[in-house]
Amino acid sequence: MTLVGVAVGAALAVVAVFIPWLPDAASEQAGIVDSVYWVVTIICVVIFALVAGVSVYAVYKFRAPPGDMDDGSPIHGHTGIEIVWTLIPTILVTAIAIYSGVALAQAEDVPSDHRVIAVTGEQFAWTFTYPDIEVEGGRPLTTGELVVPVDQTVEFEITSKDVIHSFWVPEWRMKQDAVQGVTTRTVVKPTKIGEYDVVCTELCGLGHATMRSRARVLSMADFQAWVEEQQRLAREGGAVQGKELFTQQCGSCHTLADAGTTGEVGPDLDEALQGVDADFVMESIVDPSASIAEGYEDAMPDNFGEVFTEPQLEGLVEYLLQATGGGN
Amino acid sequence: MAVDVHAEHTTAHAPPPPRRGMQRLTGPGWLRVLWTMPLGWVFATLLVIGARSAMGFEPLWELQVLIVAWTVVVPLAFLAGIGGFDYWAYWISGKPTRPEDHSGHGARTWRDYFRVNTDHKVIGIQYLVTTVFFFVAAGLMAMFMRAELARPGMQYVDTNTFNGLFSVHASLMIFLFIIPAFAGLGNYVIPLMIGAPDMAFPRLNALSFWLLPIAGLIMLSSYLVPDGGAFAAGWTNYVPLAVNQADGNLMFQMGVQWAGASSIMTALNFLVTIITMRAPGMTFWRMPLLVWANFATSTLVVLATPFVAGSQFFIMFDRVLHTNFFNPELGGDIIAYQHIFWFYSHPAVYIMMLPGFGIASEVISVFARKPIFGYRLMALSLMAILILGFSVWAHHMFVSGMQPWIRIPMMVTTLVIAVPTGIKVFSWLATLWEGRLHFKTPMLFALGFVSMFVIGGLSGIYLGSIPIDIHASDTYFVVAHIHYVLFGGSLFTIFAGIYYWFPKMTGRMYNERLGQIHFWLTFVGFNVTFFPMHWVGLQGMPRRVADYSPEFGNWNLVISIASFGLGASTIVFLYNMIVSWRRGEPAPSNPWRALTLEWQVSSPPPVFNFDEIPQVVGSPYEYGVRGARHAVLNGDRAEVEPREKVEA
Repeated sequence: MTLVGVAVGAALAVVAVFIPWLPDAASEQAGIVDSVYWVVTIICVVIFALVAGVSVYAVYKFRAPPGDMDDGSPIHGHTGIEIVWTLIPTILVTAIAIYSGVALAQAEDVPSDHRVIAVTGEQFAWTFTYPDIEVEGGRPLTTGELVVPVDQTVEFEITSKDVIHSFWVPEWRMKQDAVQGVTTRTVVKPTKIGEYDVVCTELCGLGHATMRSRARVLSMADFQAWVEEQQRLAREGGAVQGKELFTQQCGSCHTLADAGTTGEVGPDLDEALQGVDADFVMESIVDPSASIAEGYEDAMPDNFGEVFTEPQLEGLVEYLLQATGGGN
Repeated sequence: MAVDVHAEHTTAHAPPPPRRGMQRLTGPGWLRVLWTMPLGWVFATLLVIGARSAMGFEPLWELQVLIVAWTVVVPLAFLAGIGGFDYWAYWISGKPTRPEDHSGHGARTWRDYFRVNTDHKVIGIQYLVTTVFFFVAAGLMAMFMRAELARPGMQYVDTNTFNGLFSVHASLMIFLFIIPAFAGLGNYVIPLMIGAPDMAFPRLNALSFWLLPIAGLIMLSSYLVPDGGAFAAGWTNYVPLAVNQADGNLMFQMGVQWAGASSIMTALNFLVTIITMRAPGMTFWRMPLLVWANFATSTLVVLATPFVAGSQFFIMFDRVLHTNFFNPELGGDIIAYQHIFWFYSHPAVYIMMLPGFGIASEVISVFARKPIFGYRLMALSLMAILILGFSVWAHHMFVSGMQPWIRIPMMVTTLVIAVPTGIKVFSWLATLWEGRLHFKTPMLFALGFVSMFVIGGLSGIYLGSIPIDIHASDTYFVVAHIHYVLFGGSLFTIFAGIYYWFPKMTGRMYNERLGQIHFWLTFVGFNVTFFPMHWVGLQGMPRRVADYSPEFGNWNLVISIASFGLGASTIVFLYNMIVSWRRGEPAPSNPWRALTLEWQVSSPPPVFNFDEIPQVVGSPYEYGVRGARHAVLNGDRAEVEPREKVEA
């Protein structure tokens, strides 16, 4: 009995501990979530080993020989044991609840020197707005990729323009739904420089699977440089900036060979933009409902005229015409 | 001896004389359905078009409104045609009710299974066959999904079709398979187990069954709706997506109403039957745990199901009547939908679990040849789950954006509900201890259920802890969790129950060898399919996606291949059931040497179950207790006294 239990327990411990169950931990919150995860894992492995050990042992030890017509021992219960297996799980789950509650409070703690970034979900793109960084025309910096400095706590204020989306960076562990008419919050302090996926985890329609964006964590110096670059691009526009914008904002739905994007929700622009002029491209961006390509739904967000500055829009049009050989 | 007595019953309730001429078209049955349904369709269509033209609405042919009208009126016309309301219609209108009132009771030929039949045993089989049909349909949809997911990128279907596949898969599995399959098993077994001749309301019982194929066909036929096809917002049908979706979404909202009505009516029937129709001596503390489990489940169904009905009606009103329950621009509340929905749908998880607990208790006790360990605590833990089950719903909403404080009490109750569940698992294990275990197919499935359900329960602890849930919610970890609970839990117990009562229901034994093959294929296929999903989810793969990051490609291929094996195992099951039903060895009345009452009558039981109502004298699980009896049945009475004297 003991042997079976030890063997099952050891096998499980190998599965539980030596498989990297969680992705890279790249935020302070990830450390907290992971510690809860491991505490729960240890408790659960012990319980499962116990159950599996007893089952395997009982199946082996108490199996009836063929043709056996006897009954087992008429044991109806045992108050002592029943109390034990009521009390011990109660204590364990209470401990898990308390530990989880404390960890939650830690993970969601917002220090006074934090940065606020507004996150807006819509079918099928993320927009990030930095309310304290100004660009051309006195408007806040708005991007389609999330860029944050390392080791600074960010409070995300999340909302949606249409259906529910959910903002998640697996390496940060924190996730929060984006709901129209409500501002929800989540807190992340990134601790590792790198590039991560922003994933939408709430079913939001046809483009749900490809509703992804990028999160880049930079050193503070690189972040400052990025901010200045963004301010410059917003001022100047141009095709180079247009390509960057396209990759971030448009590529999850549109295929464009030059930008290397393969989205399939919207028309393949290598084909759709053959022989069109700049006005058509501009109209298709700021008022997408005006002309819908055959076989596609009227699903493109209609807010790009607000999100992008005038120079950005012009840069984007310039880039698209360049990339598809159109504009003549 | 028993046979003679039954023959007498059969002649006493012979079928009504055959109908002739016009009577064929006006009497209840499929010929009448042939004209009532088109009539209903025309009526509903004219009603909508007439009302719209009177109001000056354009266009007159508005599909949304028509779908609502059709899905209400046509099913009612079908029910009227098949004869679901006949008795009540006669009674209400003051006409004499048909004298040969038991003509629709019991089955003499296979045709009787296609009629409104008031025999709980016929209804039980009607339920099971219908639900297995929808199980196969929903399973095939899962196969299509896994084919698409085998490789990253899009291969076979577009995203709209894919979203439809998983939405209809889940809806059929939940509303047309798991919940009604348990209702079917309960229907067959409960009256027998408590020593009753039938359910308390046999006509209501028949009506409950006939609502079910309606619900299923409405959901399936959503594929036929033009412009968009099947509902594709998940079985959770979250707003605003559900409100914005194409017209097919209405088919979910209306289908749920019929399935829900069926559930509620059956649950009321179970409750009244269990409370009022127990045989003399069958006190609550002598009821088999399956009866206890259905008592708890039925209470959950009656209290919770109106909420899901309401939630779907609100969506329908928002779409069709332009109300603003969930429109934030006009004061609606999106998150409120989730509260209403989960106030049903979390208890629904227990609706889909508790009857399985009951089946496991019956099977484990019989095949371990031992009394169930801690009978009273087993029954009380069902009641604890019933009560606690209503206080945990918002654990589905830890990242929804509801008031943050609600998360804490919901986490506590969620974790605490693991305690009564744990008591049940430990008690099943203790029931094995020092037993004499016979590994027949039902026992294999019951033991498979215990071990798989433990994994599902433990991953539930992870999801109950808010910090872990924030990471894991809406990922494949959740997909793994629900399948360990609903497949490893509910489905395994449904299989256990079907194999266990197959001899009783059909009068024939199933093929044991095929049963064992079915179990092992299912057990291995199930684990290889669903266990890796835990890892894939924690690593960052969201659920409900047709396409995913290439890093998960290899595991998804493994999962898909295993899922095809799992799907194929169902063929073994179906083959075994069909062939054994036709040509299996005749079953004795009590092949498992069980003590509960259903095994004390012939297989299949006589039309009115017992020739004489049994007298219950003790616990149903007294295996190994010398001289102990659960009940005294007619003919046995003479034996009782000497035995009691021996004991004394």
